Amino acid sequence: MTTPPTTVPSTDIEVRGLTKSFGGFLAVDDLSFRVEPGRITGFLGPNGSGKTTTLRMLLGLIRPTAGQGLIGGRRYAELPAPLTTVGAALEATNFHPGRSGRDHLRVLAGTHGIPDSRVDAMLELVGIPAAARKRAGGYSMGMRQRLGLAAALLGDPRVLILDEPSNGLDPEGIRWLRGLLRHLAGEGRTILVSSHLLGEVEQTVDDVVIIANGHLVRQGTIEQLHGDPATLVRAADPAHLAEALHGQGITAEPATEHGPGALRALTGDMVRIGDVALVAGVAVHELRPLRTDLERLFLELTEAPAHRNRNLTGDATPSTSTEEQA
Amino acid sequence: MTALIRTELRKYATTRLAWGMALAMFLLGAIFSGGFGALYVYGSLTPDGTPVSEVVPPLVLARLVYTAGIQVAYLLALIIGVLSIGQEFRHKTISGTFLATPRRGRVVAAKVVALVVVGALNGVVHLLGCLLGGGVLLALSDLPVFPEPAELGRTLLLVLLVLALWALIGFGVGVLIPNQVAALSIAVAAAWIVEPLLGFGLTFLDGAEWLAKYFPSQATTATLDLFTGVDPEFARTLGGAEDPLAWWTAALVLLGYAAVMTVVGWLLTRSRDIA
Repeated sequence: MTTPPTTVPSTDIEVRGLTKSFGGFLAVDDLSFRVEPGRITGFLGPNGSGKTTTLRMLLGLIRPTAGQGLIGGRRYAELPAPLTTVGAALEATNFHPGRSGRDHLRVLAGTHGIPDSRVDAMLELVGIPAAARKRAGGYSMGMRQRLGLAAALLGDPRVLILDEPSNGLDPEGIRWLRGLLRHLAGEGRTILVSSHLLGEVEQTVDDVVIIANGHLVRQGTIEQLHGDPATLVRAADPAHLAEALHGQGITAEPATEHGPGALRALTGDMVRIGDVALVAGVAVHELRPLRTDLERLFLELTEAPAHRNRNLTGDATPSTSTEEQA
Repeated sequence: MTALIRTELRKYATTRLAWGMALAMFLLGAIFSGGFGALYVYGSLTPDGTPVSEVVPPLVLARLVYTAGIQVAYLLALIIGVLSIGQEFRHKTISGTFLATPRRGRVVAAKVVALVVVGALNGVVHLLGCLLGGGVLLALSDLPVFPEPAELGRTLLLVLLVLALWALIGFGVGVLIPNQVAALSIAVAAAWIVEPLLGFGLTFLDGAEWLAKYFPSQATTATLDLFTGVDPEFARTLGGAEDPLAWWTAALVLLGYAAVMTVVGWLLTRSRDIA
């Protein structure tokens, strides 16, 4: 950032009963959630679940059928200088191909009296200063994403709303974006990032809002989504070890789906498991954390029969366990 | 508001369209004024074969020569108007525009003012071409290049007005039909094909001929007041209406078209979902 480390006035996002029907199709159905300042919130759902429609309603581009989206308690249209409150990057295609990236930003900046120096600073920040004077039609997907991000950051906004920002970025770019978002959240900004892949934002976000077919299916912190910690232990004598663990107040149950001799211990404390095993005289062959496979959980949540995407045909593959198999 | 207008002008100036359009305006002005000028001076358009330049006063000749390209010029102005909003829909920049200025009425107002400026500026460029092409021809033919400066100057100013109004009509068409290609085709077809055919058809309908003079193209010619002092019969052979509107009525009619289209544009833009 070109600005010195600062904290910005906290501004939350509140979505209340937001509903949109296009003809007879209910794209967003009575959706309510809150996005906290100083945190990165992942707005997740499969393609066609209503994410973009929700964001566009929040930004005043689509008129809700019912409900409202508020930013710092105000509707978007009521914000006096919106770019200084909310920075949004909606799609990587919102550029005139014949206009240079720099001129694209200058057009937006002009509406708020933002100087060209800020435009150049943002181009520098997102790493495309050289390309900025070329016509945007020749930009790669990654460059478009970066230009969109530069546009969102122009007004030094307190709230950042990014629709699928890592689409088209290379792994290095994704890492860079993570760092930038973490930094911006650290300054107290409110960051809402949509994605259709939980795995993609799993390492980036603090909170998640998951929707399917326009309904909220889960909201909470990423830790809550992970659920209670568990550990896989493979032992020569699992029954004996389970007994010993129970004696120490640790619940352990057979986990045959992980192969012979496997136990699922409901704790994240592997040191203690190892110690108990030693005392019990049981040889341990494998000891590792059992993490919830969030991607699988995500699929389960969003493809439950009640939430199955009406846009698609065919059956969702039912999954039995949310724990990683390998 | 001035910031918004400046932004809209910046938008227009930062694509190649601005230069291409100015170039086309200039060249077409020079070609049409030079070409039609030659026809008026050396051709035999009159029934008895005498050149037009010998039967009309110098002022009328100069008006005819310098406005010879008006139909092409207003078509281009119409296109500018369609593109000013059509490109935003086509390239989805309208999202960014409305994010920066969520009060859409202000965007429409800024676009209208900017279009008037752009239409008039292109008109100036067009007239420079006309004055070059037509002026060289008149000078070479030993005819007055700029007779009665006040009267002729008024006509040229009215050209600017006409082009600005056509740009606004285009804006309305662009909002009405968000598909840019469709909007362009329909606007051009309506202005150049449907309207003349309709006007021609009306001449066969007893009691309905008067309608035609309220059509945009005829109102345009009437605004420019091209045929004052010309034998009406002969004026018709040059494309004039039989009983044209007074220049200011005609200007008001054009303004009416522009206003209706703009208001329709504003009403549609106000509530349209941008997806």
